[in-house]
Amino acid sequence: MSAAKDNHASPGRSWRDIRQEVSAPAMSRKGRRRQVIAWLKAAALATLAVVVAWGGYLLAHEWISNRAALTTAVHSKPVRDIALITDGMLTQQWVHGVLQLPRSASLMALELSALRDKLLANGQVRTAVLTRSFPDTLVVTLQERTPVARVQAGDESGTTRQLLVARDGVVYDGANYDKAMLAGLPWLDGIRLVRAGRGYAAIDGMSDVSSLLSTAQLQAPHLYRDWIIVSLGRLAERDEIIVKAQDIPEIVFSRKRDFYKQIAQLNAVIEETARVLPGPVLRSVNLSLEGQVPVQMLRSPEELAGTPQPAFSFPSSAQRKDSKRDL
Amino acid sequence: MISSSSKIIAAVEIGTGKIAVLVGEIARGRSLNIIGVGVAPAHGVQKGEVVDYKAACEATHQALELAEKRAGARIDEVWLAQTGGHLEAFYNEASVNVKSADNTVTALDIASVCALAKEKELPAGRSRIHEIRRPFRLDGHAVPDPEHLSGRRLEVGYWIVHGPESKVSDNIHVVGGYHLEVRELVLASLASGSLLTTAEERTQGVLVIDIGKGVTDYVLYRDGHVLVTGTLPVAGDHVTNDLSIGLRVTHSQAEMLKFRQARGTVQTRDKADKVWLNGDASFGDRQFSKMAIETISAARIIELLEVVRRKLGPAFAPEHCGAGVILTGGTSRMPGIEEAAARVFSLPARRGEPPAWVKEELKDPMFSTVLGVFQFGLRGAYEHAVPARRKPGLLSSLTKIFTTS
Repeated sequence: MSAAKDNHASPGRSWRDIRQEVSAPAMSRKGRRRQVIAWLKAAALATLAVVVAWGGYLLAHEWISNRAALTTAVHSKPVRDIALITDGMLTQQWVHGVLQLPRSASLMALELSALRDKLLANGQVRTAVLTRSFPDTLVVTLQERTPVARVQAGDESGTTRQLLVARDGVVYDGANYDKAMLAGLPWLDGIRLVRAGRGYAAIDGMSDVSSLLSTAQLQAPHLYRDWIIVSLGRLAERDEIIVKAQDIPEIVFSRKRDFYKQIAQLNAVIEETARVLPGPVLRSVNLSLEGQVPVQMLRSPEELAGTPQPAFSFPSSAQRKDSKRDL
Repeated sequence: MISSSSKIIAAVEIGTGKIAVLVGEIARGRSLNIIGVGVAPAHGVQKGEVVDYKAACEATHQALELAEKRAGARIDEVWLAQTGGHLEAFYNEASVNVKSADNTVTALDIASVCALAKEKELPAGRSRIHEIRRPFRLDGHAVPDPEHLSGRRLEVGYWIVHGPESKVSDNIHVVGGYHLEVRELVLASLASGSLLTTAEERTQGVLVIDIGKGVTDYVLYRDGHVLVTGTLPVAGDHVTNDLSIGLRVTHSQAEMLKFRQARGTVQTRDKADKVWLNGDASFGDRQFSKMAIETISAARIIELLEVVRRKLGPAFAPEHCGAGVILTGGTSRMPGIEEAAARVFSLPARRGEPPAWVKEELKDPMFSTVLGVFQFGLRGAYEHAVPARRKPGLLSSLTKIFTTS
């Protein structure tokens, strides 16, 4: 039986209603002494709290207004070294260039948050942590973005330049990447780059695009190698991503369907076509429909009449199994 | 070393003969470590009632200060034992018809029957000390918790202990005069009973009698529950007074003779067997008949125990008291008192033995009540015995931080 259940209110007075405070004359000398000690303790506690609060305020004020004095107080030395820890391509030289620390800058005097903002201003840097390693080293720990596509951007003067796009849609210049790796990235099309500050606003829908690209890169590198342009022009309206490949002008993917399945279907279509019709024959492959893969050929039926008809059909389940294994 | 999560609590008994204070450190609300003891001779207290506030304060505060010094810690709150002839009790029961269509007892039914059973108004100027619930009965059968059981009629009874507000507040104010708050008030008989009996004995039925200097407290358990409690303003002093009158000696001389020679039953057969008053044959030293001393003391002890039996009335039946009678309190040290109790109650009687966890120096019967106050509180007996506590508000909690010394 719980106490709560049993503790029902009682009518009438309980001893708990009796007032326990005793007036000073009714207290013994020992009681009064105890009371005074209690008051003194309370007063000491209150004073301590006020002193701590006031001290905290003074310290904060000093920190903000007189950083130099604080620097002297901790005897920090000028920064001699910047140690870089990164998971990407940026170098210590790059960090030096961005931070541009004065030669005599004391480690304690550094505004770490401002320096961090400088690093984060470059889109290649996803996160940056700066720590003081006394007496004279600034440790910079970076996490970098990885490019998944390229985009061509033009400025007011009419010159164009290549920018990189990361998985989260951030557009950035990119530094120290391998040129061959960059050449293998597909171009983005069907997007509008919008200025934001000194750079560009992040591109919407890139998470779907990068998911498609990474699936293709991982599961069908032989197909991904041929992809030249990825268009996001129909992404917002029809949930479709259009890929232009080396031999196929239009491959339509749907972001609503599993990319792995769509790539498997594309692989099957290409293999089956290549088996019966050698050379590039496909104009368009639409993978956005569930269960059907409409295909347009580059040549008309008459032109194809001379060659064996592409008795096109989806491969049998056994064949499909084989083709997936190839993936 | 006192941990920050523990609380320093003092169990205080303001008795007629002595003030006893035990200081305990209670960690996480369950485990008790007794860290200090303070005992002082009582002044200004007669038969459990404060008659001289200043004298009672001085004596109590002396014991509290001594206990604090020995504990090396400041007391946070006090659990106070309550006794005295001013306390009275009555039994009140109520019943309700189970309201739900399928006759399942709900929390609402339990709340209703409990509220009804406690509803009886007290006379003006009296305060409730304890409300001790007896088992619920569902269609006449005792059940520990009737909720969710099926039945038609739910009954419950409460043993309600109350006392005059002025007398109760006197005791509380004596503690308040030391700048301490009384957090719990525990009936002395319940405290002693809680310490000296086991759950099995309470189920078998047991009577605990705490005979002090000015007051005798008793509690009768049956089926594991408190059946009756009571307090008589008659105790060891009664024997001293009779010895003083009968032997024509002063009160202090009678007290000395009582400690040395008094018995609960007459053992001496030879009328010529004498004892010296002082024993040092000094000037004015006198001889008394040992038989006379024993006869006077035994008569008073038997009389006292018979009054207890009369007070218990029909509630007491030897066949429902399988675990016998347990005696405690300062006067229970008198030799032969168990035989006297066995004769009066027709049951085996023994002196109460504190549980094994009690340190040797605290096993004296004079500490039974204060130890029991701790035991009673720690067993969660409050759940069944006292009204709901008011939850302290945020303001009072904040205030406590600054006022607790």
